[in-house]
Amino acid sequence: MRANTLVHHLRRFLQPERIASGALAALVLLPLLAIVWASVRSALHPGVWDVLVSAPVLWPAWRMTLWTGLVSTLAAYGLCAWFLSYAFGQPIWVRCVRTLGPMLAVPHAAFAVGLVFLIAPSGWLLRAVSPWLTGFNQPPAWLTSQDPWGLGMIAVLVFKELPFLLWGIATQLQRDDAGPRLVQELRVAQTMGYARRAAFWRVVWPQLVPRLRWPLWAVLAYNLSVVDIAQIAGPSNPSTLSVLAWQWLQDSDESTNAQGAIAGWLLAATVGACAVVLVVASSLAATPRFDGSRGVDARANSFSARWGGYVLFALCAVYGLILLALLVGSVSGVWPFPQWWPSTLSLQAWDSVASSSATLRTTIVLALCSTMLALLWAVAWLELAPKAWDRAMRWPLVVPLLLPSVLWVVGLHSVALQWGASASWGALIAAHTLAVLPYVVITLSPAYFGFDQRYAHISASLGRSYTAFLWRVKWPMLRASVYAAAAVGVAVSVAQYLPTLYVGEGRFSTVTTEAVTLASGGQRALVAAYAWLQWLIPVVGFSAAAWLGKPRQFRP
Amino acid sequence: MALDIHITSLSAGHQLLVHNLHVHCPPGQVTTLMGDSGSGKSSVLAAIAGTLDAAVQFDGTIVLNDDSITTWPCAQRRIGVLFQDDLLFAHMTIRENLLFAVPAGPAAQRQAAVQQALQELGFSDMAHRSPNTLSGGQRARVSLLRTLLAKPRALLLDEPFSKLDAALRQQFREFVFAHVRKYRLPTLLVTHDLADVADSQRCIHVSTPC
Repeated sequence: MRANTLVHHLRRFLQPERIASGALAALVLLPLLAIVWASVRSALHPGVWDVLVSAPVLWPAWRMTLWTGLVSTLAAYGLCAWFLSYAFGQPIWVRCVRTLGPMLAVPHAAFAVGLVFLIAPSGWLLRAVSPWLTGFNQPPAWLTSQDPWGLGMIAVLVFKELPFLLWGIATQLQRDDAGPRLVQELRVAQTMGYARRAAFWRVVWPQLVPRLRWPLWAVLAYNLSVVDIAQIAGPSNPSTLSVLAWQWLQDSDESTNAQGAIAGWLLAATVGACAVVLVVASSLAATPRFDGSRGVDARANSFSARWGGYVLFALCAVYGLILLALLVGSVSGVWPFPQWWPSTLSLQAWDSVASSSATLRTTIVLALCSTMLALLWAVAWLELAPKAWDRAMRWPLVVPLLLPSVLWVVGLHSVALQWGASASWGALIAAHTLAVLPYVVITLSPAYFGFDQRYAHISASLGRSYTAFLWRVKWPMLRASVYAAAAVGVAVSVAQYLPTLYVGEGRFSTVTTEAVTLASGGQRALVAAYAWLQWLIPVVGFSAAAWLGKPRQFRP
Repeated sequence: MALDIHITSLSAGHQLLVHNLHVHCPPGQVTTLMGDSGSGKSSVLAAIAGTLDAAVQFDGTIVLNDDSITTWPCAQRRIGVLFQDDLLFAHMTIRENLLFAVPAGPAAQRQAAVQQALQELGFSDMAHRSPNTLSGGQRARVSLLRTLLAKPRALLLDEPFSKLDAALRQQFREFVFAHVRKYRLPTLLVTHDLADVADSQRCIHVSTPC
């Protein structure tokens, strides 16, 4: 009997789908484990922990990290919930979803550079009101972007993460068992006398909170551990813990290096603790009150739509202004303060960009290769892996998102060195693929799991093979989601900063590494041109995805 | 040609869904399976079609025209299925939906089969339209003809009338039953509605085993 059971299990395990799934899992798990282990090992240095905790810069940096990371995450989350309470189930939500693509396509670094262009003492905002309102004929000695309170950095993170959270909700609402059903539930609650927003907070939001857990964790981890944004718009004294760790990791001294790695792990522990607190707090906050009150909004739909519209307009206006500031900045020649428009326009910066075509080529090759690999893996995995395996794989898959980027790149670089692949195209593509993969899987999963399996039964009952079903029915029907996932992949790859810098050992430059490196210098026009380009590539990706994924046009 | 189903047990985990069910579906007649929600009716159809979920264990035999097809893959059984939803492929035209079902063969023959089906439906001038432009009743009829174009040896109907309004329901029911008779297909219908029962002598009630 036992032998029979063993044979049954063995036969089940040796099914071709399971063998292929195992190979796919190994393909990702092996490098992931090696990277995590390498980042652990880099922190194993005797006596360094004592040196770290007694370092006078550590705790101010840690407090600054908590402040900027938590405030920006909570603000983005709160704004997302508040906006949704007005927009859910309204036409404004459909318009919002349409505008998310271009906003998500703006890389963090480009956004930060643009915001600095706007709010700097010599930035556009102050020029617009000078000297007639402020009386300034010279830029004031204000700290607006790298302010000691981290407000500039918080602003960048809130404006960048809000569209990401909204996108997280939009992908969940695409599912038939979520979007249409929740709209109906909202209506049912309204028929029971609940005002629209009261019904939203009691019926819809509590059901969305668990679905938002992964995007929220990703936002929290990013906001607490980001390096490039902190370098461009964050405070310098004290800096954030991630920047401090990054500086220590770049030191040639081995013990200082280990100190940086331990600081990275301290950051990871902070992220973990904050994630637990945040998830518990958000679940408690979303628990509906059943006190019988039904809220009041007599102006119901028009009022909701108007507020939703204002928020969406404000968000689009910020992004529009930033992109405009970058564009004008990229062609500005002489531009004395307080003139609101440059005295001379010049294409010199764009000439410089054009002459460094290798940078553009590297960016595009990396984006295309890593996205293609991630997409192939994701489709194969979602197609073949048993559900339990897929659930188990979700945690390891998001390690590159949850682990602080400084730690991630230390492990990545160490593994690349061990495997003799450092500063090679292969290692760089692999590093980008691992970063792109979780986003591609997260984007593709709702559509894949929401696919009606009865189509497969219909196709098979019509005598068609599974291959014919995949090529002629399933994948064409999922085309829009596949292209959308590819566009997200391209955007994520283009925005990679630390992995490109570390694994490439400085020998590969992309538009992002150029933009961040130049941001600390004085070449305003060149920084703007690279930041603009950093946005343009993902936008081309998203536009191509929208065009290729649009529904087929039939003859009338 | 007849379809014979002998189910010793059909269970999901530790829950027994169906126990000792024997159904004989003669050609050209509609046998009806009725029962409460959750009594395993749709699982019975899935077991016959070969689309049973891996989590459901089936013990029994399915015999179609003297062939035991119990272990055959779905695509080889040649058993047509109609669901509650028409499940027309939204990215294909009406013509392409029909063409998808026609078995391999000379192109001219396949096109002729589709053309004949379109004529029967009265849709010759709508062949290149999206299925989304059709009404519920029209979609249901296209769905049936698509199933029939695959030349099935038996037909399974999983509440295909339940989403149609009363007038359409009656029309479509007659349309389906007429084709069942015309092609002499052994047919098993699952329904909640007594009005769907074609022959009260051929109606089986299933209930969840205790």
